[in-house]
Amino acid sequence: MKRVLARTIYMLIVLVLSSIAVFYAIRLSGGDAVAARVPASASAEEREAVREQLGLNDPFHEQYFTYVGQILSGNLGNSLTNNARISALITEHGRNSLILGAAAFALVFGLGIPLGILASLRRNSWWDGGIMSLSVAGMAIPNFWLALLAVWLFASVLGWLPSAGCCEPKQLVLPAVVLAMEGMALTVRMTRSAMLENLNQDFVRTLRAGGLSEAKVIGKHVFRNALVPIVSLAGLRIGQIVGYALVVETIFGWPGLGQVLVNAVLRRDYPVAQFFSLVLVAIVLLSNWLADVGYTLVNPRLRKA
Amino acid sequence: MAEVTNLSPETPHHAASQPGPLLSLRGLRTSVTTRGESFDVVQDLSLAIFSNEILCLVGESGCGKSITALSIMGLLPSPPLRVRAGEILFKDENLLELGKGRMREIRSDSISMIFQDPLTSLDPVFTVGDVISEVIRAHRDMGSKEARQLAGESLAKVGLPDPVKRLDSYPHQLSGGMRQRVMIALALVLDPDILIADEPTTALDVTVQAQILEQLIQEQRERHMSMLLITHDLAVVAAVADRVAVMYAGEIVEQAPVDELFEDPRHPYTQGLLRALPQVSVKRQRLDPIPGLVPPPQLMPPGCRFAPRCPHAIDPCWIEHPGLTEERDGRVLRCFNPQPFTS
Repeated sequence: MKRVLARTIYMLIVLVLSSIAVFYAIRLSGGDAVAARVPASASAEEREAVREQLGLNDPFHEQYFTYVGQILSGNLGNSLTNNARISALITEHGRNSLILGAAAFALVFGLGIPLGILASLRRNSWWDGGIMSLSVAGMAIPNFWLALLAVWLFASVLGWLPSAGCCEPKQLVLPAVVLAMEGMALTVRMTRSAMLENLNQDFVRTLRAGGLSEAKVIGKHVFRNALVPIVSLAGLRIGQIVGYALVVETIFGWPGLGQVLVNAVLRRDYPVAQFFSLVLVAIVLLSNWLADVGYTLVNPRLRKA
Repeated sequence: MAEVTNLSPETPHHAASQPGPLLSLRGLRTSVTTRGESFDVVQDLSLAIFSNEILCLVGESGCGKSITALSIMGLLPSPPLRVRAGEILFKDENLLELGKGRMREIRSDSISMIFQDPLTSLDPVFTVGDVISEVIRAHRDMGSKEARQLAGESLAKVGLPDPVKRLDSYPHQLSGGMRQRVMIALALVLDPDILIADEPTTALDVTVQAQILEQLIQEQRERHMSMLLITHDLAVVAAVADRVAVMYAGEIVEQAPVDELFEDPRHPYTQGLLRALPQVSVKRQRLDPIPGLVPPPQLMPPGCRFAPRCPHAIDPCWIEHPGLTEERDGRVLRCFNPQPFTS
């Protein structure tokens, strides 16, 4: 319990620090936020007036505290480019991202763990060789390149799946697979090695000597032990999904948080970029927190000694 | 033990009313395969365990004691280890020919085993009660509550303090001695006929060793079960054994009732072991180790395996491999040139 509390406080501290970093970084990145608000023909005075109105001339820390105050009071603000309410953007695009992220998450663990177990139980067989080769490929191919290959093969050549768009199940397949690939490859490898390591533990011999079936020994005991490292890194896998979502959503034209964030950054749409970045940071932190709690649950050695 | 069978346990094989051995190994040969080459690590091993006795299997590390035990249990890590020949008879069944399902029934229910290192021998992510209950329910048609109660009783029986509370403990919450008690409870919960204990005290503190050993002997007496105790500690042997089998380089070299073995060891290796034993009563005594090393399996001498280290080796010892012979008094020996023991 103490550990969970400590992790929660730690998470909040990181969230505050990263909000400052995001706030500062986006203002350091150059470009002009005002450009999106005024016509290209606007005079220097007009630009300056808009700048003043948006509070962009205030000292950095004042801007920051004003912004934090707004967010805490529930006012997320509007987009500079099209005046859309940020809360509405989050709801709409968040839902799409959630669908894509959940699909990728399901693939990473729902497919990665069984494949890893299969490889460990059929060690040095064709199964093992095939699965491990695919997993090396999955880790080695950058996802933007994999996305292009997948579109070329499944959309252009075979014509089985659409190359982009939202939000039909068919349109979900390619982005979800591409998004999941690296995490899945890592999960396969980790599952395999954790299973093999635990299969050689002394306790396995004890359980066999107790007359338990192989299904129980491996499926229950070895697997539960192998789950410990897998769960401990689940937060990392989710972070990976969130990070890669920016690239994958953009390539496949999937209107999620990542796509909105990328566009907002390109247009120096400060309020949107700031808040969406923070949302992504919060998701990563939260998933790490969950993984930590989960780790405590699967690993009794971390509970009261 | 004597009060049960009315027989001296030292000589169960002489008694007419004594049934045959409970477990008997005949010509067991177990080999290890590495890089396509096979070496025998246990060879021509014959051994009988009678009901209600403690048989000690003695020998230095790597002589094949544990592999013999795992061969009986059908738990050899395979590959690389495999039983090549022989039979292991338990109550009219050859364990080596049994199907996996039948073998699982026998494990723990009829033949149980405890291991050297209680630190790593228990599943770290399940509670002690979970594991014991699971083993019970693998063999008995029993509800989880009933199994849990039985598990608690078994923990209480092996002297674990606060047994009901300990059911919910994880192994890391227990000390080494407590863990070994849990292992004993787990091995004995189904009341097996035979307990194989593979160096059960080696990994424990000296003070705890005696307690655990005491517990094992007490269980053996109360349950009238047989015990195959594997050890390299001759002091333990002297304290608990009914009969002793001495192993060297994968073979049994001598087998005798414990008193006779200590009074009149016949094999030069047994004699060497006894001479190497430090004696508390003699101060500043120089130890007398056996010279040389056990040959590795791929370099086994063609004759007697102990010949290179033997003070009494004669010509045939280098050429011919001695077989196990039964002496006139029923003792078993593998030696061409036994000499009387001088300490």
